[in-house]
Amino acid sequence: MIALPVAVLWFGGFVLAVLDGTRKPAAWLSVAVLASAILSTMALGITVYQDGPMSLAVGGWSFGVGITLRVDMLSIVFALLSQGVLLAALVYEVVNEVGARIYPAVVLFMGLGLTGLVFTGDAFNFYVFFEISMISAYVLSSYGESPRQFRAAFVFITVNLLGSVFFLIGISAIYHTTGFLDMYRIRDQMPLVQENPAILSATIIFVAFSIKLGLFPFHFWLPAVYTGTRPSVAAILSGALANIGTYGLIRFGADIFPRELRQAAPVLIALGTASIIYGAIQALSRHATNEVLAYSAIGQVGYILIALGIGGPAGYTAAILYTVLNSTNKALLFLSGSLRGWLAGAAFAIGAFSVAGVPPASGFLGKMALFQVGIAEDRPMLVALIFLGGALSFVYMFQLYRRRTAEIEAHDSSPWGAQVVVVMLALVILGIGVWPDPLLNLVERAALSLPEAQVP
Amino acid sequence: MILVISLAIAVMFAAGAYLMLKRDLIRLIAGMILIGNAANLFIMASGLRRGAAPILPVEEPTADPLVQAMVLTAIVISFATAALALALVYRVYISHYSVDLSRLSAAEEQQAERDEPMTEDLREGVRDDTDGEASPDDRRARAEAIR
Repeated sequence: MIALPVAVLWFGGFVLAVLDGTRKPAAWLSVAVLASAILSTMALGITVYQDGPMSLAVGGWSFGVGITLRVDMLSIVFALLSQGVLLAALVYEVVNEVGARIYPAVVLFMGLGLTGLVFTGDAFNFYVFFEISMISAYVLSSYGESPRQFRAAFVFITVNLLGSVFFLIGISAIYHTTGFLDMYRIRDQMPLVQENPAILSATIIFVAFSIKLGLFPFHFWLPAVYTGTRPSVAAILSGALANIGTYGLIRFGADIFPRELRQAAPVLIALGTASIIYGAIQALSRHATNEVLAYSAIGQVGYILIALGIGGPAGYTAAILYTVLNSTNKALLFLSGSLRGWLAGAAFAIGAFSVAGVPPASGFLGKMALFQVGIAEDRPMLVALIFLGGALSFVYMFQLYRRRTAEIEAHDSSPWGAQVVVVMLALVILGIGVWPDPLLNLVERAALSLPEAQVP
Repeated sequence: MILVISLAIAVMFAAGAYLMLKRDLIRLIAGMILIGNAANLFIMASGLRRGAAPILPVEEPTADPLVQAMVLTAIVISFATAALALALVYRVYISHYSVDLSRLSAAEEQQAERDEPMTEDLREGVRDDTDGEASPDDRRARAEAIR
């Protein structure tokens, strides 16, 4: 049961790797595979929601010997989020015509990596799934094959390979200090580890995930890559792949290094603030759509980091909620940003309002959650910062939207299929904003699966 | 022993980092491979213990077999990444007859200029659309021009 979504994607990926993905039937087959993986993840999610976390030792080994798969609500939320974004990008590309035969298979492999990574309970296994999704991302980043994409691909590969190496070093440092690879055992063992080695390994892991996430001092690769890649790839990178960074920070930070996370809280909040301000100012000064969106992505992850830095049940809930909303927003904006026509324009407007935090769209939920945290923790600076960041993002999103409407009038519209896809994604975002209770409930349960959040 | 291994890791990492700063793509990939292997050596070092081979039944203190299994996995992964990156370099080479990053950016600028007539009006932001749609003939002609 636990392994089903991973198995479906794995098998589907292999089958599609030998088929020609530019043909319509094969491309739609990949959509069907991804959709069935989502359905099986949902079924798993319902079981986990009712009965609590599930685990499985792979290969018939006893617990403690074999690799463990462990699924709690946090995993389910992140798996569904990544798979949903991948599905939107895949359908968009299939409707629009797939340009490379390997594209659908690679998207499935990426889904496999992202799903496996959130389902695993073993640190080294985490690294393996992480690399599966990274290698798929390397392939995707060169999709399109013009000089721009190649250059973006090289920047992406070089920087992210360094990130992966850092993560590997961090894992082996954890193994060396605790003697375990199973996350539960590491967590039990971590308080006994001396302070310095623990901080060192926590920092290495933090740097590794920050590179994936494009946080302020590690953001330098992000604009070049997001502007260079094709729209659907940019949507995948910012909406699905960046979730690795957030999930990693939450899982490793709040679950394995809670003590170090608390010690580092001021640093996290400072970095988050720098990210927000830097991202917003850079986004204000740019003109090209993708560039503005790339800098906006740098700014938005700052909020997540601040929520993590504050911690506690409310902080983690806000961080997870913000990740879900931010990923869907970014996917919508990157997909609709390259389309023309009034439907795509409306979808883009919804995404832009969502980022700016204007009520009917879902983005305001995240801002509101952070606001509540800021008030509950009595941090006036934080409230002011959220307000400032929101105002700046409103300005740059509005500028962007105005520039776009000027363009739309001058040109004919894109194919209807692609426009319908982005409109459906926009409706999801709008729907979440109008009826937020299910998502809020889910996210709260996800935060409660972290032991840190259970302590009052 | 610890000193020797850590020195080896440091030298490999430094050499890799130096190579990664080059504009030449082959050197860049050599740098990646070196850094990846420095990390592999680090994993080995993290579980280094003297002892007999870990074969059942265990009677005397054995060496840690887990790190070697991990390193094996990591080597396979870095090998796959290196192969992928080299394939990408090959693609760049056949379309531009060069493996130099600065040549690639020059080609990118040229293409941007070629796209310019169509994008003169307010279209700055949607230029991405016209990318990647150049026919193979186009690409070959451009590569000739760069040459």
